[in-house]
Amino acid sequence: MHVIRQNEGGEACVRIWLPLGHGPPARAAIGDAKISNLEVGEHRSAFGGSVIVGIRLVHPTVCPIHKMPPRIRCAIPRGLGSAVNPSRISNRSAVLRLPSASAPSTTTRQYATAAAATVSGGFRLPDDYVPPTKPPTARPSDTRKSQLLRTYTSLLRSTPLILIFQHNNLTAVEWAAVRRELRIALDNVSTEGSDSADIASRAQLQVIRTRIFDVALKIVEFHDPSKVAPTTVSALTGKKVQVVYNHDLSKAAYDASKNATKGDEPLPESSSYGQISPLLIGPLALFTLPAVSPAHLAAALSILSPSPPAFPAPSKKKNPGYHDAIAQGGLQKLMLVGGRIEDKVFDLDGVKWVGGIDGGLDGLRAQLVYMLQSAGLGLTTTLEGASKSLWLTMESRRSVLEEEQNGGKEGEKKEETA
Amino acid sequence: MITRFITEVTTRFNPFSTRARSARLFLSFLPPTARSSGMTIATQLLPRTSADPSTLHIKFKDGKEMNLDCEAMGIKSIVEEVDRHSRALQKASDLADG
Repeated sequence: MHVIRQNEGGEACVRIWLPLGHGPPARAAIGDAKISNLEVGEHRSAFGGSVIVGIRLVHPTVCPIHKMPPRIRCAIPRGLGSAVNPSRISNRSAVLRLPSASAPSTTTRQYATAAAATVSGGFRLPDDYVPPTKPPTARPSDTRKSQLLRTYTSLLRSTPLILIFQHNNLTAVEWAAVRRELRIALDNVSTEGSDSADIASRAQLQVIRTRIFDVALKIVEFHDPSKVAPTTVSALTGKKVQVVYNHDLSKAAYDASKNATKGDEPLPESSSYGQISPLLIGPLALFTLPAVSPAHLAAALSILSPSPPAFPAPSKKKNPGYHDAIAQGGLQKLMLVGGRIEDKVFDLDGVKWVGGIDGGLDGLRAQLVYMLQSAGLGLTTTLEGASKSLWLTMESRRSVLEEEQNGGKEGEKKEETA
Repeated sequence: MITRFITEVTTRFNPFSTRARSARLFLSFLPPTARSSGMTIATQLLPRTSADPSTLHIKFKDGKEMNLDCEAMGIKSIVEEVDRHSRALQKASDLADG
């Protein structure tokens, strides 16, 4: 607490620094002390996240000699100015900042001091305290690029089907036309109120920042959040706790992605990033589908990169909008360079192959089940065949033997069984 | 890059090759109005396994043809090479107009 001004008129301006959010308790404490002639002001400052509370002791008796009128509330802006600019404090004489003995209401001020001191002493944060909402990051967390990186990592983790396009200077109207045609084509293959309508509504064609996407791909492949060692930090109470900082902007993620691509040796063939990284050049756009749905993929391919036998462009009669000059101009500038489907990297032909799967994943599963079933059927008949023939041989042999042994007892047996 | 005097651009590259970089960047340098102002741009994407070199073939208004080696040249040297001829054409057209 500092007394910053005091004059003969019986006023004292007191300024107290408290941690943010403790203005109200301080005021309550002063209220408890039954001080009626105090005025408390509060100002949130940009200085160390503290609250500056200005307290003014207003005496009912104004000095008769000076006839000084009651001071207007000036403590708060003054206090803020000196808080922001510490040099001003040092310029002031130290005497002014010390509580003087000639203060008219010493007792009152002591109350205020005691109350404020206990409050501010109790809320001191530990030195290595890390707010849980603001974990340490390797990249500045409040920049657009970092947040874009987080968007891309989450996109890569959650999206199974991504087509990568190079876009060569499309104008805004061309983008609008391309997106419109894409939307129409996707809506055509989906039925209202089903999963396919949901997939179509969440399909997106978005322009990306190539370099940031490249970094995001590295983080997604090389950074394993489950393997990050915990860090010891202080909790709010000063207790040591173990916290794992494994988010995408963390030091661990940064190091993992840097170390993986360090040096001159090429990445292994199996590395998905190693396969896809040559594609990440120049201006890129992504077409993303929230599920691997060959029907939707085929619809998108027939618009964005039509190839007549399998993925024909819509006819002029059916969809005249597709053939207008703006849409065509835009589509000519889009170039499908590759795709990433279920963490596998595909080229143009591979993407077309996926788009050509009949019935989607369910169709593939049905094919597999049928294949396994028919194979199993053949196997069981083959295995059964040997034992069956053995059983038949043995059985026939037994009946022959039985006939030989008890030739005359046939009649008795028949009676028993009956 | 001066693109006014280019009439035809033909590229052929495998996007999965690191050598396709300059060809792809060259395409991204062409202005949005390139096609509408009469330039024909043909791009052929090679399959992933192909080891064919990436090629860039440019035709100019005066009939000059350029076959640029994208494998060895970076985008800067390609642009420089194209501009070298375009500037001469621009000078000629400025003189004819003036």
